Amino acid sequence: MATQSRRGGSGQPDRRSGSKPESSILTKITSSSIVSRGKQAASDAAFVSKKLLRSTGKAAWIAGTTFLILVVPLIIEMDREQQFNELELQQASLLGAPPSTPSLK
Amino acid sequence: MAGLVPPGVAPVPAEASKTAPTKPEEKVDYKNLPCPVPFEEINREIFMSLKQETFEGLRFDFTKGLNQKFSLSHSVIMGPTEVPSQSAETIKIPTAHYEFGANYIDPNLMLIGRVLTDGRLTARVKWDLTENLTVKANAQLTNEPHMSHGIFNFDYKGKDFRSQFQMGNGALLGASYIQIELHLLVNSFPKRLFTTVLSSDNNNGNILDFFLSVTQHLSLGGEVFWAGQHRKSGLGYAARYETDKMVATGQVASTGMVLLGYVQKVSEKVSLATDFMYNYMSKDVTASVGYDYILRQCRLRGKIDSNGCTSAYLEERLNMGLNFILSAELDHKKKDYKFGFGLTVG
Repeated sequence: MATQSRRGGSGQPDRRSGSKPESSILTKITSSSIVSRGKQAASDAAFVSKKLLRSTGKAAWIAGTTFLILVVPLIIEMDREQQFNELELQQASLLGAPPSTPSLK
Repeated sequence: MAGLVPPGVAPVPAEASKTAPTKPEEKVDYKNLPCPVPFEEINREIFMSLKQETFEGLRFDFTKGLNQKFSLSHSVIMGPTEVPSQSAETIKIPTAHYEFGANYIDPNLMLIGRVLTDGRLTARVKWDLTENLTVKANAQLTNEPHMSHGIFNFDYKGKDFRSQFQMGNGALLGASYIQIELHLLVNSFPKRLFTTVLSSDNNNGNILDFFLSVTQHLSLGGEVFWAGQHRKSGLGYAARYETDKMVATGQVASTGMVLLGYVQKVSEKVSLATDFMYNYMSKDVTASVGYDYILRQCRLRGKIDSNGCTSAYLEERLNMGLNFILSAELDHKKKDYKFGFGLTVG
């Protein structure tokens, strides 16, 4: 709707320039069809890119929070487990005795 | 460490099979069919990893054993609880409860009672009358009308089947039956293949042990119920296929519900589960995928479903008899986020 009103606005000086011969070059440029089409394209592009940005932002938010809930605790716990295993292995090698697994578990 | 055990164990059956022909294990062992899982527990592995009891707020549980059989439990639950409403938005009101419970657990008699501060009382009894016959009773008393109920279950466990008869208030009657239909102990082909390998190289014991231990069960069951108060009746069928590495179940009920589930045990610590639920009457479909990690110090379960609902449940063992629980649930569609933490002592 905004583009339509703008086009209407640009149409008015066009008629006025027809009645008044001393119209400036600036109004001629602004009233030319290529400028109005460019304006429209720019506003369309802005609209689309805004929407795209918003939807990607939303998708990233959802993906990020899901990752935070599902994967981050898993990584932390796996890391802890690995550390625990390494510690146990070290202790076993230090003591030299065969590790008594049932008592450790 | 568990990987060290099989090589030592494996050579023994290998030598036994070398001397004796493999005939006895080849065919289906109809004489020694194991008992199937109870009908209502047919999906237990799937529910274990996909239906976590996520909660919101604080939870504190304390169990004190007075002697070997008798124990008392105290728990405090604080946090918002959802109120069922017609509108799309969920309404939550803050609540706080204290729950007192008494448990008596004996090998063949189990009595559990719980009292909440809002006046709810639940009681559960499980009594093994003989080796095969078990009586179970569940009762709930509330101060709201029409919410109190009681159910009696009679379970009979046979050699390769289980049957259950159920009766409750509101003229509820139900019966279910489940039987093992197929039970294969050994796939004989890979076994013969690896016995020759094993005689030359003892390290291959792992492979042989794996093939030897494969057991397959297929159990089929059905149920009937009649709820006299609501004038409803229904019929359901279920199938469960189980090997050492996976469990697959399927369930159909005349209420229009179709439930398929699959659990894959990737290793001793990890299992992955997926399920699919379809309701013919309400036409809603849900599928979910989840994992279940049982590590030495914690148990972590997570799942995501097709409604965009993500949840995770972490039980961390801080000390002997001291567990820390974290629970999270995100529902982006409903904008409903639930986080809870808890402590279990005893």
